[in-house]
Amino acid sequence: MKTSQHNDKPMPPKWAMRFFYWYCNDHLADAVIGDLFELYSRRYTKLGKRKADILFIWNVIQFLQPFAIRKKSNTPLNHLAMFQNNFKIAWRTMTRQKMYTAIKIGGFALGLATCILISLFIKHEVSYDKNYKNGENIYRVYNEMAGSDGGKWTSFPASVAQILKTDYPEVEKSGRLIPYNWFNAGNNLIRREDQVENTYEEKFAYADQDLIEILQIPLIYGNLKQALAKPNTIVISKRKADKYFPNENPVGKSLVLNEDKSKLFTIGGVMEDFPISSHLQYDFLITLTGVEFWPGEQTSWCCWNYNVYIKIRPDANAADLEKKFLSMKDRYYVSYLKETSNQSIEDVKKYHKFHLQPVSDIHLKSDGIYDEIPHGDIRYIWLFGGIACFILLLACINFINLSTAKSANRAKEVGLRKVVGSVRGYLIRQFLTESLFYSFVSFAFALMLVFLVMPYFNLLAGKTLLIPWTAWWFFPLLILAAVIVGVLAGVYPSFYLSSFKPIDVLKGSISKGSRSSKLRSAMVVFQFTTSIILIIGTFVIYRQMNYILNTKVGFDKEQVIMIQGANTLDKKQITFKNELLKLANVENVTISQYFPVDGTKRDQNQFWRDGKSKEEKGVGTQKWYVDADYLKTMGMTLKEGRNFIPEMASDSQAAIINEAMAKALNLKKPVGERIMNWETYNVIGVVDDFHFESLKGEIRPLCMVLGTWGNIVSVKVSTDNMNSVINAITKTWNTFMPTQPIRYTFLDESYARMYDDVQRMGNIFACFALLAIIVACLGLFALSAYMVEQRNKEISIRLVLGASINSIFKLLTQNFVKLVLLSFVIAAPIAWFMMHKWLEDYVYKTKITWDIFVISGVISVMIALLTVSYQSIRAALANPANSLRSE
Amino acid sequence: MKGTYLGEFEELVLLSVGILFDDAYGLAIVDELEKQTGRNVMMSSVHKSLVRLEEKGYLKSQLGGATASRGGRDKRLYTLTQAGKKVLSDSREMRNDMWKQIPKIVWEGGKI
Repeated sequence: MKTSQHNDKPMPPKWAMRFFYWYCNDHLADAVIGDLFELYSRRYTKLGKRKADILFIWNVIQFLQPFAIRKKSNTPLNHLAMFQNNFKIAWRTMTRQKMYTAIKIGGFALGLATCILISLFIKHEVSYDKNYKNGENIYRVYNEMAGSDGGKWTSFPASVAQILKTDYPEVEKSGRLIPYNWFNAGNNLIRREDQVENTYEEKFAYADQDLIEILQIPLIYGNLKQALAKPNTIVISKRKADKYFPNENPVGKSLVLNEDKSKLFTIGGVMEDFPISSHLQYDFLITLTGVEFWPGEQTSWCCWNYNVYIKIRPDANAADLEKKFLSMKDRYYVSYLKETSNQSIEDVKKYHKFHLQPVSDIHLKSDGIYDEIPHGDIRYIWLFGGIACFILLLACINFINLSTAKSANRAKEVGLRKVVGSVRGYLIRQFLTESLFYSFVSFAFALMLVFLVMPYFNLLAGKTLLIPWTAWWFFPLLILAAVIVGVLAGVYPSFYLSSFKPIDVLKGSISKGSRSSKLRSAMVVFQFTTSIILIIGTFVIYRQMNYILNTKVGFDKEQVIMIQGANTLDKKQITFKNELLKLANVENVTISQYFPVDGTKRDQNQFWRDGKSKEEKGVGTQKWYVDADYLKTMGMTLKEGRNFIPEMASDSQAAIINEAMAKALNLKKPVGERIMNWETYNVIGVVDDFHFESLKGEIRPLCMVLGTWGNIVSVKVSTDNMNSVINAITKTWNTFMPTQPIRYTFLDESYARMYDDVQRMGNIFACFALLAIIVACLGLFALSAYMVEQRNKEISIRLVLGASINSIFKLLTQNFVKLVLLSFVIAAPIAWFMMHKWLEDYVYKTKITWDIFVISGVISVMIALLTVSYQSIRAALANPANSLRSE
Repeated sequence: MKGTYLGEFEELVLLSVGILFDDAYGLAIVDELEKQTGRNVMMSSVHKSLVRLEEKGYLKSQLGGATASRGGRDKRLYTLTQAGKKVLSDSREMRNDMWKQIPKIVWEGGKI
């Protein structure tokens, strides 16, 4: 081994050696490396290369000790002056190349602004329900039905809260909440007892005294222990107290709901407004004390309408408690099912479970739990976070690309500095200072951008975020982030730039910045891949939205005005309806509580074929009370049978069912069959399936029976001048209800609002796509400018020799177009997969067709081409003499 | 005292430098120590001791003796200084002194 081995001379890993030289002081470096080398070649023959390598690296690491580490340079350096000089140079380079600087900083600022916004958004989303006292002991109870037609939902029978408290000692408190439109929960007309004008208010909910104690809702007036303890009490939020009782303590005063003077609500307390980071957002909490919606409602297990929150003892274990709760099922629910000989008893025994969900999980981790509370989705948090990171990465890539591309311009500087005596470390420090400088300037711009864009973002995301200027962590965190990003983006360029050998540079033999062109291409591909994925995503989401808005939903949603809050008309409803029908352009009027859009009443009934309730499983069905004009007004079509005829006495027991129900009940010839829940109905017609719930799910069974009363009067009009019709309707309304202002919505708008989240998602994606493409294009533009600059002479000579403008243009652009095409090839399958996953949420969905890909591909190529062509055309049109003359 | 204190390992290193005489450099000292003591010796600790002993003035060093198997790099060759020799003999004397003071019975009786 001592003999000279020429070719297979054992060589320890180079990088480890370089690392050693980097940290080790000069006194030891050569001697120790020599020793290690000797040891290495000894091991090499004995143990083989791999082991020898590993041991070598281990040795190098062992030497990382104070005695071996390079001491600080003892040459007296004026660090401040150096820094000032670095700063000055950075400033000069920035101002000398205004376009590149603008692109670097602009791209950076865009990326950073996106990141800051998204971070604030995510921070807000994860901050939900974190601030309750003893929050870790507060849980929401929910049901799970395992098995094929299972599901998760949060509503329980009225008695469950009490049962949990008395039967399970681990449960300290349990309180109920009714969060959805049901009796007075939801929205109401409201007035002070001593005033006459009614106002429409939303955000009513029923709550137990225990609930506000569990959540420790802070009260401004009133006593938390008694606020909802008495029947017919109500707690109102501070903002509503200020509205109705400015500058006074409203506790003890009374409110009238929906003109029902027989039941006044006494204010038991004024609570702080719910923080925006609470999953509960109510202005009025009506007590459940003494409430019984119908006889026996509070004790029966028939009807599941209450959400239950519990606070458990600190020493209790939630998982154990879940299992213990099963005994409640056997004791109460199963015996109820037995009494009523319900067919689902076996399924319940086998599959029904209870779960506890920590209150802080409700906002983000309620996917699949049916609770009628709007919440966020943890998947979107990940998605947005990912996209934000990607956009920041794109911005960093721009920075790196431009810095290395422009390296030729700095090469002379580097060379000269080295000749004059600068070591690599100083140069690295110089370039890092420069990139930090860029980073800080970009952060300042980004912050401004965030400030300007915040209102629009809030609109887009449906949030009310603020920039936490005054929070102690905000600026330190920003500065930290600026440093990290600056170093991250600057580390490669600074190592790259400082690596030039002075002799090459000064001789002029350095290939001008072409060395890393492969890396640059890879980065461009990465940027465009991200952009194209986002473009395709945007297209698919908008497609789906379009599909939702334009698909045949089974009813005619155009030109239908829904007059809300008409329940106060009471017995005058029919007269009102007849008056409306007299107006010009009014085609049809119907009164009901049930309409095929969100925000109207829903219920859940079990239906059977007549006489089969003991033998068959019931079919979960919506039972809608409508009048005879309903089908006509809504533009629904009958598949068979006839509409209601109110004059026929027997039609009070008639039902029109939808196709889904006919199928679910297995009725071959539905018309003439009899169906039952607690009453029996004759099926007189089958209506074509129409969507009355989100397109995410199948159309479910529905049955309409004749009713005459409702809180919404829907008016089908046919006019080009909507305003005049609305004026006429308003006038009629005012003659009936002078103290109550009219409130109306349009059916199509209400329908569209059901899909706000899709719309929102689409808009957000569009913004992201736009941002990504802008950042990518900024980079591409600068790169092409640089390339043209580099090949200036070549182009001039080509032009002189007779190249056409066309061929020059092709020469300069084809490379970039190729890169974009490559990006497209990479992006298309990824995008397809992602969007396919997204669409899986919907039963009714648009197809992902090839044209989306073609359009996205063409768009991205066009954008890239446009970006590059400005520089290319300019180069091709330039007078070759200009660039050839100088030299 | 602190300046002249000699740790056990340091003493061994000093001794090895003495033994190896004109070829006392890192790896050779490691080999020597392993041979003499049968312990596993880390190269970094040897170099660490060498640096400290040189700082204390017990050793001096110069570069030289590059070979191909070292990748053409010089060795740092250590030799004992006067102070180094003195500290070694002092230490030996002290030990001898202390040895002498151990009563004979300790060696003979064996049982305490």
